[in-house]
Amino acid sequence: MISATHLTKSYGATRAVDDLSFEVRPGVVTGFLGPNGSGKSTTMRMVMGLDRPDAGTVRIDGRSFVDLRWPLREVGALLEAKALHPGRSAFQHLWAMAQTNAIPKARVTEVLGLVGLEAVGRRRVGKYSLGMSQRLGIASALLGDPAVLLFDEPINGLDPEGILWVRTLLTGLAGEGRTVLVSSHLMSEMALTATDLVVIGRGRLIADTTVEDFIASNTEATVLLRGPDPAALATMVRTAGGGTAPASDGALLVTGLDAARIGDLAHRAGLALHELSPQQASLEEVFMDLTSDMVDFHGHTTAEVAS
Amino acid sequence: MTAVTVTRLTPLPAIDHGRAGLGGQVRSEWTKLRSVRSTWICLAIIVIGGIGLSALVTFIEADRWAHLGFADRAQFDPVRFSQTGEFLSQFVVGVLGALIVTSEYGTGSIRTTLATTSRRTTVLIAKVLVIGVVVFVVSELTAFASFFTGQAVLLAHGGKALPPGSSIIDQVRSPTIPVVSITDGAAARAVFLCGVYLLLLTLVACGLGFILRHTAGAISAFVGILLVLPLIVNILPSSFSTSFERYLPSNLGLAMILVTSRKTDFAGILLPPWQAAGLLAVYTLAVVVLAGWLLVRRDA
Repeated sequence: MISATHLTKSYGATRAVDDLSFEVRPGVVTGFLGPNGSGKSTTMRMVMGLDRPDAGTVRIDGRSFVDLRWPLREVGALLEAKALHPGRSAFQHLWAMAQTNAIPKARVTEVLGLVGLEAVGRRRVGKYSLGMSQRLGIASALLGDPAVLLFDEPINGLDPEGILWVRTLLTGLAGEGRTVLVSSHLMSEMALTATDLVVIGRGRLIADTTVEDFIASNTEATVLLRGPDPAALATMVRTAGGGTAPASDGALLVTGLDAARIGDLAHRAGLALHELSPQQASLEEVFMDLTSDMVDFHGHTTAEVAS
Repeated sequence: MTAVTVTRLTPLPAIDHGRAGLGGQVRSEWTKLRSVRSTWICLAIIVIGGIGLSALVTFIEADRWAHLGFADRAQFDPVRFSQTGEFLSQFVVGVLGALIVTSEYGTGSIRTTLATTSRRTTVLIAKVLVIGVVVFVVSELTAFASFFTGQAVLLAHGGKALPPGSSIIDQVRSPTIPVVSITDGAAARAVFLCGVYLLLLTLVACGLGFILRHTAGAISAFVGILLVLPLIVNILPSSFSTSFERYLPSNLGLAMILVTSRKTDFAGILLPPWQAAGLLAVYTLAVVVLAGWLLVRRDA
């Protein structure tokens, strides 16, 4: 369990984290979402006792980082994959970490095996790809067998197989009853991996909820409706109090009525249906809507520039 | 889709007593120090460069003895010549001391290190202990090896030890090159303090590393203290500078290793050897304490 209360942190005039409170429960993967520069990494550094909050507290299973007696055995983190001395091997890097928390050498070999680096464990990490560094970072987080885990953008630089592996690993770790907080700016990835969500923008909390509720409460449910007589279907929907909007290929996008009700109405009216499908906005779309005014650095597409 | 299997880790046996402390940090720092090439390169330069430079300078000095005037003969310091390598080593230990800290800030791995303990000062103490012991042992071995190499060079040039209790006048009048024995108390002290000087400089550089958190910055500051500070003090009016220059770290180092020549050209300017060592230790402690104070207070 990670609990942050009124966490606030500024760097000079920039407020990186602003009165942020949330809880991360054990047993499920919690996605930590926000645009770049929204304060995710700062928050994670404060959890790890690396940066000191200006105000507020953050606790790991009820205790602050400075009260942990064997930190690596209580909380593991992958903060920056490339934060490694390039001249050291993965084994030496992990072994140096292990020694600080009385972790046996066999454990180093075990975590290297788990992340698939056993064959290159004796090679200098300066030669590693970003994906291999991410795997090493994950190995270092798991080194002390901690109940609380933090991963900052763990899938950066991984190939599709690696991404699938991380997803399986994270849900597996959560399934073992651990607290797993994973930051990402890739919403689609979190939709697949996370159960809970903490969403922030400009250092402020936007949502602390589940992925399901987040989508449900932030989108109007719509139903895609298709049939041989679109005009009759549209009239039927509007008579029942729903709204319609044209969709592609003569289909209708219906708001205000759910699929079951539309199906019943069509049945009673004797109208044929070719498609009746509830539409779910992707997490990505919801997120974009919510944070569009909270992104610090806007990109411009060529089309925008041209117009 | 590719099937992905994830092996489950076996649970790590829990520890219900004690805490992550200094012992583990020391072992970890030792592992880290051993596993990078720069450590071995720096230590090789201290040993090979130190002994080689000492032998070379002693050789040149010995070769010139017959042509030296009285003033030069009075300054002929067989111990100092054999410790010439220290001039090189002082910058190499500066690099070693700074790198053990700043290489972690440069790569960002300092955050990995600080996340292993809830008491940051143990990280600083472990680094100081490990780099201090390594540099001290290597420096002392090099200093004594350099001393014996230097005296061997002098003996090979027909040098002879002056009888005990000889004065500077005896040295000037000696027909043969003076050679010093390690049993000469002043010589043994000078050689020993040479290693102490390098140890203290290492720790200063280590402290500067924590304060400045940047390799180039820490090494520049270190070089500035040893090379630039004396130049600035020398520009000041001599009435002013003569009372200050003895307290400069570089002159404290000189005071620690001079034997013969301190009786002549440096007479009255430098502090006595042990006082110089003591003062340099106070400076070192001040830098390390400031480093620790900042380490605990600043964001990593």
